[in-house]
Amino acid sequence: MSGATVSRPHAIGATVSVRRESHTRIGLVLTRSIAKFDPRQQVRNPVIFIVYIFTMFTAAVALYPPIFPDIVRHGFHRAYYIDVTLILLATVWFANLAEAIAEAQAKAQADSLREVRSGLRARQILPDGKRRWVAATQLHRGDLVEVRAAETIPLDGDVAKGGALIDESMMTGESAAVVRESGGDRTSVLGGSKVLDGSLELRITAEPGTSFLDRMIQLVEATSRDKSPNEIALTLVLNALTLALLVVIVTLAYLLGYTGIGTLDLATLVAMLVCLVPTTIGGLLSAVGISGVTRVAKANVVCKSGKAIEAAGDLDVLILDKTGTITVGNRLAVQFVAAPGVDAETAQLTGLLASLFDETPEGRSIARLATLRGTRSPKLNVNECKILPFSTARRMSGLVLPDGTEMMKGSISAVSALAGGFPEELRKTADAASLKGMTPLALARQNQVMGLVILKDVVKPGIGQRLQELKTMGIRTIMCTGDNRLTALSIARESNVDEFVAEAKPETKLRLVAIEKSHGRLVAMTGDGTNDAPALARADVGFAMNSGTSAAKEAGNMVDLDSDPTKIIDVISIGKQLLITRGALTTFSITNDVAKYFAVIPAIFIGIPTLVFLNVLQLGNPQTAVLATLLFNALMIPMLIPLALVGASFRPMAAVDLLRRNLLLYGLGGLVSAFIGIKLLYILLVWLGLGSP
Amino acid sequence: MLASSTLADVLFTLGLGLLLARWLGMYMSRLFQGRPTVVDPVFDPIDRAIYRILGVDPRRPMGWKEYAGCLVLTNALALVFVFLVLFYQGQLPLNFWHVPGMTWDLAFHTASAFTTNTDYQHYAPETQASLFSALLGLQTLMFLSAASGIAVLVAFIRGFVRKDGMVGNFWSDIVRTLTRLLVPLAAIGALVLLFAGVPETLAQSAHNALLGGGFQLIPTGPVASWDSIEMIGTNGGGYFAANAGHPLQNPTAFTNMIEIVMMMLLTFAPPFMFGRMVRRPNEAYPYLGAIIVLFVVALLLLFYFEASNPYVSGLNVSQSHGYLVGAESRFTISESVLFQGISVYGNVGATSMSLGSLTPGAQSVLLWGMFLQCAPGGEGTGFGMLLINALLAIFVGGLMVGRTPEYLGKKIGPDQIKWAIVTLLSHPLLILVPLAIAVAGGLEQVAAGPGSHAFTIALYEFTSESANNGSGMGPINDNTQYFNVAGGLVMLLGRYVPMVAMLAIGGALARQPAIPPSTGTLRTSSVTFTLFLVGFVVIVTGLLFFPVLAMGPWAQGVNWP
Repeated sequence: MSGATVSRPHAIGATVSVRRESHTRIGLVLTRSIAKFDPRQQVRNPVIFIVYIFTMFTAAVALYPPIFPDIVRHGFHRAYYIDVTLILLATVWFANLAEAIAEAQAKAQADSLREVRSGLRARQILPDGKRRWVAATQLHRGDLVEVRAAETIPLDGDVAKGGALIDESMMTGESAAVVRESGGDRTSVLGGSKVLDGSLELRITAEPGTSFLDRMIQLVEATSRDKSPNEIALTLVLNALTLALLVVIVTLAYLLGYTGIGTLDLATLVAMLVCLVPTTIGGLLSAVGISGVTRVAKANVVCKSGKAIEAAGDLDVLILDKTGTITVGNRLAVQFVAAPGVDAETAQLTGLLASLFDETPEGRSIARLATLRGTRSPKLNVNECKILPFSTARRMSGLVLPDGTEMMKGSISAVSALAGGFPEELRKTADAASLKGMTPLALARQNQVMGLVILKDVVKPGIGQRLQELKTMGIRTIMCTGDNRLTALSIARESNVDEFVAEAKPETKLRLVAIEKSHGRLVAMTGDGTNDAPALARADVGFAMNSGTSAAKEAGNMVDLDSDPTKIIDVISIGKQLLITRGALTTFSITNDVAKYFAVIPAIFIGIPTLVFLNVLQLGNPQTAVLATLLFNALMIPMLIPLALVGASFRPMAAVDLLRRNLLLYGLGGLVSAFIGIKLLYILLVWLGLGSP
Repeated sequence: MLASSTLADVLFTLGLGLLLARWLGMYMSRLFQGRPTVVDPVFDPIDRAIYRILGVDPRRPMGWKEYAGCLVLTNALALVFVFLVLFYQGQLPLNFWHVPGMTWDLAFHTASAFTTNTDYQHYAPETQASLFSALLGLQTLMFLSAASGIAVLVAFIRGFVRKDGMVGNFWSDIVRTLTRLLVPLAAIGALVLLFAGVPETLAQSAHNALLGGGFQLIPTGPVASWDSIEMIGTNGGGYFAANAGHPLQNPTAFTNMIEIVMMMLLTFAPPFMFGRMVRRPNEAYPYLGAIIVLFVVALLLLFYFEASNPYVSGLNVSQSHGYLVGAESRFTISESVLFQGISVYGNVGATSMSLGSLTPGAQSVLLWGMFLQCAPGGEGTGFGMLLINALLAIFVGGLMVGRTPEYLGKKIGPDQIKWAIVTLLSHPLLILVPLAIAVAGGLEQVAAGPGSHAFTIALYEFTSESANNGSGMGPINDNTQYFNVAGGLVMLLGRYVPMVAMLAIGGALARQPAIPPSTGTLRTSSVTFTLFLVGFVVIVTGLLFFPVLAMGPWAQGVNWP
């Protein structure tokens, strides 16, 4: 019953009596599991439906033996029929329970999301400029609303005017507040997040009921999920196996009856059929599917369809942005080089002053490095200086000191033009740094070259190992960057990425996606800008960042609320776990059957001395043997519910190794555990007095 | 258990068969990829003439439905033609023994048997088939049915390579199989057998003076040419009722070995052909490995079970040469068992022993081979079955490695799976349902002997028919309307349901683009995969047939190793 206590770390009001909720949830699960005995629900799962039908048959015989005179004539044990019926009933109920628990988990996830949004009201801006309060549910796409400090954003939208500090923690779990303002790539806000400071005018981008929140709620709550091709094919296999075994058992009944070889007991044959049909996987299949979506939602990823999760498990190629995904996103200063004849201190001071009021991360890192090296800036009043910000025309930035001295930093060519030449020695150093993928900036005072500061793109800690994991899974990674080839090569080497595209233009990603898809590969890409939208839409898995634009989020089929591009690796793992869990349970079901045969077949041919060799488990009492096998079969469902909900473990390794490992675990494990389990249950039943040894 | 000389004999025969099969598989891959071969100058004009007569364009690729349509149509026409020949053989020429026409149900059963490459014989050829029927009717079908099986496999395999949804041209495949493979092979085989002592004559009887005066007429005929295509085409229908146990059909230990090698040719060639056709020659080995594991285990069990019979051991009878009841005394027990093993496991169905006299253990091993149908199974279709099993195994195994299952770059999804399970389902259905109906009237009506022995015989009948094997276990009263009609239908469904499924899977695969492999792709050329495939086939087949094996042969009493 581990599923009943769902952790809800990101919901508001999560503190309200979790104990009370988990209590009502157990009640709900039980009610739901009973309600699922409705034949209209049962018929959707043919494997369990077969059990359901035969339960009714044995129940009828147990309740009113006289209406089946043929059965009663052949040494009829009513108690045996009752026992069989009860275990069959339990089998169906366990399958219902598995599904009900998975649904309850999903519902809990959906509720915590829904809680965020319920009762939201919004201050709508009418065309004439007037404001009026409306319920969030009455808003439509394109409406303008105003949100002020301490209010909650009613629906997903884009900031049309103003800017504000926003707390998205109830959506993303990320406690640091973020700035959202009009213009640029940081305009989109999520319904449910809170404005801490400032005020916004917001253009609604989602119809009520179609926002990301609603979509995720619908997906986790959906009673009829759209099945992936894998699930359809597996269902076909399971149903065919069930049908084949039905043919085997029904014809066996006739063959036993006509030939008189062996004992014809319908309860035993029903038990045998139920043991053999893949009830374990049949009973857990839908729970596996539901839990996959729930797990993705718990990872704070909004996904627009369940199929996308499985597609993630199948990926061949992953296209990643360099900036923000592989590198921390900013180039940082790592070294000063003084020009010939200039002392180091002067060069550092030039760098420090040129970057003194430069608020870009690069600028700050130059100032920080200089300070670290012991350079102190003279006291300056910002109002007396003139800041020259970076411009594409100037390709330099800097500061004009109160005395009129210009302290500049910029590209080698720009500074070289300014100074009318560049020291050869320094140029060599700069070229060498470029070759290593670093970015050299020239420093100048007035028209004189003072030295270089070398900036470096810093790879995120741990990214190399994660990309190596992807490689082991057989996923090729392609890094996309606007940097030159050398910089890109250096980052690619450092981060374990397989391939890279340097000097990428906005349309490069779309072209990359198209090329990879034309080779039949499944492609995923991460992105956040409006430029990325076409490629996100084209990719099989478009993984958009929550911090990105609405266009990007609309185009992708998954949105990471934490805006962490590397999280796509977690989604890939969840997708693979889904498939592995299904395959593992199927293998387990099938290998279990071997042991079940060796337990039930001897019970049918108990009187034939030549077939005694089949009784490898030495089960003396045929009816107890059948009950033990049937009980084992039923108990496997609840025993494996945790596996179905959490997913089979997945460690990145080569496919053949994974196959060998899972075959040993679930194939051989299923074979051995069934022999042992049935024997133990038999001993237990005999000990309980349910049959002679 | 096995004397070293016997072991050398067995290994030599199997080794020779495998070697020739490998060579043949490579030749066949060239043949069906339309690549030049040395025999082109001879056969190109012949083939062109045939295409012109048929009025077909051999270069136009077909989708799977059109291919299946052509296959079913030609086979149906042949079936009707041979049915008429058998029904009216009394009025037709070349009828030395004045054989009357067959009854409609026997004619239907026989025509179905030879069309489907089963060659189950509910009649005694010596007395119930004229030379006209044998030559123009049955022997023609022996070529056509073998060619059909190979053509279907070739089309199936093309699905793994092609990307345009087409599976090849039926007319080209069938004509090339006939002219460049079956006819030359059968001719060579017939000559070898002829020189080894098998008769080949259009005379229908040999006149033989007896020592005590008077004379006897011994039925004979073009036995060598019949025998050759019977073995090479995995047909298995005998020229004589005693089949390869008859001294004119299999006179010496040498012909016995030649016939074993002939049976191995087209049954063991397909893995090699497959590897070459999908341009990954090593892909042959996981399958060859699986076939060899399944087949060798069966062979060892057969040798063991036929080495001695524990029920005879107490009777003061020497079994130093094996349990010889029902076996030909001209051959050693190992020669007979090797013949029988490859004949049943290769779905040839020729018999050199009386199967009803085998020990129950040996009988269960033979039944198991026909339940499997793929170790190695009949010409083309046997390997097709193994591929279908492999697709199902790869599907389950592929899920366990966390990717949508794929094989040779083609995804295995609902389109392929639905046809694979039709095949999986059809075999038990076609065996168990008619069997249950057959025994409804009482086992003693069907076959003689104690209950489980009679049951084994009846089970063997439908198993052999559904697997398109054709070997029979007597004594059984099977020339009845029920057995003829039900048997005929079982053979037809047991043949064409899997064949259509193979073509459909090939077509579904051919519609897909190929995905390049990565380290995340399940590599099939590994020992792990081979063992997994063997385990999968054994467990799934066991699940379906375990109860009837217990009721039949095992209940008779088996001395397990």
